[in-house]
Amino acid sequence: MAVLRKDLQLAWRDRSGWLSAFAFAAVSLLVYSFAFDLVATDVRPLLPGVLWTTFLFVGIFANGQSFQRESDAGTFDAMLVAPVSPATIYLGKVLTNLVSLFLIELALLVLATMLFDTALLTAELVLVVAIGTTGYVSLTTLLSTLGSRARARAVLLPVLALPLLVPLLIAGVRASGGALGEPVGSAPWLLLLVVFAMWSTVGGALLFPLAVER
Amino acid sequence: MSDEPAAVAARDLTKRYGGVEVVSNATFALPRGSKIALLGPNGAGKSTLLGILSSLITPSDGEAAVAGYSVRQNPLALRRSIGVLAHLPMVYEELSPIENLEFFARLYEVPDADARIEELLRAVGLWRRRAEPTQVFSRGYHQRLAIARAILHRPAVMLLDEPETGLDPAGVELLDELVMRDPAVTVLAATHLVDRTSQWASGVLRLERGRVTEAPSMPAPLAEPDAASQPVGASS
Repeated sequence: MAVLRKDLQLAWRDRSGWLSAFAFAAVSLLVYSFAFDLVATDVRPLLPGVLWTTFLFVGIFANGQSFQRESDAGTFDAMLVAPVSPATIYLGKVLTNLVSLFLIELALLVLATMLFDTALLTAELVLVVAIGTTGYVSLTTLLSTLGSRARARAVLLPVLALPLLVPLLIAGVRASGGALGEPVGSAPWLLLLVVFAMWSTVGGALLFPLAVER
Repeated sequence: MSDEPAAVAARDLTKRYGGVEVVSNATFALPRGSKIALLGPNGAGKSTLLGILSSLITPSDGEAAVAGYSVRQNPLALRRSIGVLAHLPMVYEELSPIENLEFFARLYEVPDADARIEELLRAVGLWRRRAEPTQVFSRGYHQRLAIARAILHRPAVMLLDEPETGLDPAGVELLDELVMRDPAVTVLAATHLVDRTSQWASGVLRLERGRVTEAPSMPAPLAEPDAASQPVGASS
């Protein structure tokens, strides 16, 4: 809890990273809204892809920054020499990234609702986004740690993360489509998202000590 | 020959990176309460050795124990017993001094943390600026806060890597007063300020190309692995 509280405090104090990520995502949604003919076309089948593309880039953009800052300031080492298990540090960081990214995603859903004139703040879609985001941040938090000491760290996170995120993105898009009325429904894809979130969180907690080992 | 276990001990400690031995078969023992200057040229392996002793770096071979705790077998207990001060202050610039110390007090579960934090912030001269974000502080003030962070939980062993970096003479005096002259604390400090070591050091540990070429005379051997997981002074 100490790590979570501190990281949320830091995220709030230095919110420029998250705000610029949100601004980038908002502009992307705006461009998409101009690209689609909202009068003649039913945009609902297109929206899952639009939303998850946007979420993906917001997460990559903001997640890497928090680790880079810790690494540059030496504060990550200060935590590692404290009597706290690495898994605890990892889970604190996952929770912080989850809260921050999920709040941005909720704001983006509100914005998308207005831009695309489609009700997106449904309980089902919010649940899909929440579970998908859990799997997403669990994996990217681990990969950010691996990349934080690399010289090409800005490139490394997307290169490492994108192939591993493919199952999550497919499930996220399909579950969101189901939540927006596609006949297959969201349940089977939501189950895959749950499995991915559990796998990446447990795997991340187990692998994090190896990721910080020198 | 002393029967008292060493505060810091290493036996055949080796660290390799890609086949290069950065620390090579280091064997030494530092008595409790000693103040040891870790000397050697750049690239001698001083920071790597301190990294191993603080459990940040995993040794390739050999064994080390700090305050009686093995770096391999009991790293969490070891970390509770050490204070680490490096040339990077390792504090959060977005947080105030008091918020920084509150965070680390929670990590170390420091009893009566508020009183301890106030005591330390007064000692390092930052009490009046306790609520300001540290990003407006000078390098020396960051390092003063780092001293407070490092000794917050009253560690038995201090591992210092060029701790004087950025400190003005008053700050250096503060470091001496709070750390170097504390008789209860064992200090191992890497430094290039060789002339100044005569003011605080009771011995020298010298590294050259990863090898120990001079060590304090301390005959107590490193405890066996079973005993190494017990704290110094604990009955087995």
